[in-house]
Amino acid sequence: MTATSALTSVNPEARGARESRPTGFRPALARGILRLPVYLLLAVASVFSVLPFLWMVIASTHSTPELFGTPLPVLPGDQLWENLARLQESVNFSQVMLNSLGIAVVYTVFSAVVSVMAGYGLATYRFRGRGVLLGVVLVTMMIPMQVLLVPLFQMMASAGWIDSYQAVILPFLANAFGIFLMRQSFLDFPVTLIEAARIDGAGELRTFYRIVLPVARPQLAALVIYTFISQWNAFIWPLLMLNTEDRYTVPVALNTMIGMSRVDYSGLMLGSLLATLPLMLLFLVFQKQFVSGLMGGAVKG
Amino acid sequence: MNTTRTLLASAATLAGVALLAGCAMGGGPSAGPVVLDPDAKLEGEITVWSWDVAATALDRLGAEFEAEHPGTTVNVVDVGYDNAYDKLSVGLQAGSGLPDVVTIETDRAPGYINEFPTGLVDLDPVLGEAEADFDPFKWAAQSDADGALKVAPWDSGTVGLFYRTDYFEEAGIDPASISTWDDLVAAGEQIKAESGHTLLSLDVATGGGFQMLLQQQGQGLFDENGDITVNSPEAVEALTLLQTLNEKGLLKNVKGWDGRVTSAKDGDSAVTPEAVWWIGTLLGDAPELSGSYGVTELPAFEEGGVRTSNSGGSGLAVPAQAKNPQLAAAFVDFALADAGNQASMMENEGLFPSYLPALQGQYFAEPQEYFGGQPVYELFAEQTANIPAITFTTDNAEASDIVANAVVAAVLNGADPQQALDDAAQQIATATDREIAE
Repeated sequence: MTATSALTSVNPEARGARESRPTGFRPALARGILRLPVYLLLAVASVFSVLPFLWMVIASTHSTPELFGTPLPVLPGDQLWENLARLQESVNFSQVMLNSLGIAVVYTVFSAVVSVMAGYGLATYRFRGRGVLLGVVLVTMMIPMQVLLVPLFQMMASAGWIDSYQAVILPFLANAFGIFLMRQSFLDFPVTLIEAARIDGAGELRTFYRIVLPVARPQLAALVIYTFISQWNAFIWPLLMLNTEDRYTVPVALNTMIGMSRVDYSGLMLGSLLATLPLMLLFLVFQKQFVSGLMGGAVKG
Repeated sequence: MNTTRTLLASAATLAGVALLAGCAMGGGPSAGPVVLDPDAKLEGEITVWSWDVAATALDRLGAEFEAEHPGTTVNVVDVGYDNAYDKLSVGLQAGSGLPDVVTIETDRAPGYINEFPTGLVDLDPVLGEAEADFDPFKWAAQSDADGALKVAPWDSGTVGLFYRTDYFEEAGIDPASISTWDDLVAAGEQIKAESGHTLLSLDVATGGGFQMLLQQQGQGLFDENGDITVNSPEAVEALTLLQTLNEKGLLKNVKGWDGRVTSAKDGDSAVTPEAVWWIGTLLGDAPELSGSYGVTELPAFEEGGVRTSNSGGSGLAVPAQAKNPQLAAAFVDFALADAGNQASMMENEGLFPSYLPALQGQYFAEPQEYFGGQPVYELFAEQTANIPAITFTTDNAEASDIVANAVVAAVLNGADPQQALDDAAQQIATATDREIAE
């Protein structure tokens, strides 16, 4: 009942908005002219936001000495394959990409499971100490990473995990931000739906998986993107844990290209460019989830 | 049934104890300092952390070391130059996780030595005999207050004056005639008038070579008593020089190492006062300038004064937590206190030795094509023993930042050098509780 009334309270507005949209030629033209400055502003802004990326593309096709020259090259050069070969040779880039991908995927999957379940528990169940538990989770967000480094490092060292992937992944699986994000999204979930599922005979897990989770897909998508990006970009912890060149992640490996009296900028740019590709792909895949209706699928049947 | 349960219980207890014991062993720093025995039998395995061409060099020498000492293994890991210090700091703090040999730069060595007095092994028992053969500045800077060598000197940052032969020719100046900074300033004005090129490029925000000019005059930011010397007459002279260069339009202020490379390529640096490793930068990033560079000694402040300084360079250290400190020290000795091996690192990887006997090698006298056939390494080899030794303290990093601000104030904002440095000295005194030297 609650859900249906929520739906009817949202929809009329949307429908009204659609109908009131002007359809005539003149108003449309007038609106277009009115919007011109906005579009111009947006166009300028987008040039600025694309420029660094464009420079990355251009820089990765030139040799490093060319990048130090004046004027700076504005057109792509012909050194792409040379740079790629050097990148592969100096840091074993294909291996390093696979390492990063493996670590980020495993981390994202397990971290998402932890966040979703903990968030659901904290949002839906009433139990003694729930507020305190949530407080403890949130307080962990306020501990700066620098304070954790040495104790965590000692723990990993005594477990004999230095230079292993589990040492990179495990310590940060329970992510306070993720738990909080999911808790907030489950808070709005109508309890009546859960009760309805119970009456229909669904167990707790089934209710969670079939009823609650599908509704939280947009938030889950956001969580996955956020978690994946944070692990993909993670630098200091993988750097401290991994001691073998063939086990490095992309950020760690790219940083080894900054030398004492020379920096291989073109290789660095190409590496950074390649490293952003998986992120763009991930975003494209999950973009749909972002825009899909918030309550879509909640009240089927 | 009952016995099974008892067995399980005791097994669980055992496991628990083992876990606790494991934690205790891995946790705190090991008890008692590691004392090296120079006659120890060499066996087992070591891991070495280094970066860049330095890692390449150690990898090559590692194979030779293994061949000379059967039953030993040397693993070299390129941890990256930028990365190494984060790993090193956390490892020293945690008391675990470090390899047997680490690379530390000369500028950073005093900080680590003071911060972790028991973190690095005293290398004197193995390398002490060779002290007289090393660049004296390096040896002093990489030893602790009691004179124990903690970081063995490796490559040297001997400074010379790189100059554009074509610009000097165009302006009709003989580089050999330049013996003092005043001469160079005069030459710079002439070059600027003839061709419009600025004399040199410096990153003023990071101190613009001020400390290099200070060391040239035998001074650090502190004297041997740990008192602040940043407002000494020598310091004022160095800062006045930088200010003069800027006022006369001879100095181009650039951002970082990148800016200086660009500047060198653009022709905005008629001269570059920099360490011998700048050659590697030029060869790699400015190959098109081959034949248009020469090297001469750094101009002196007074006629007949010291004509070199130090900028950069690095060394090898053995952390106290090393699993095989004996073998580690033996490898450091093999790689660094050996004329043949140090010279081979110059020839193959361009690492300029701080081990003086190595500088006698044939290679250093050879003409260098990039420098129009001038045997430039000979000049650096001659000057390495002349680098003045200076004192470092735990507060060098903090004092460097304050001094850099003073350099900006004087050079870019026109403040009086004496006043700017007096202020800096006062700030350092407040921040570090140290006295200002008389």
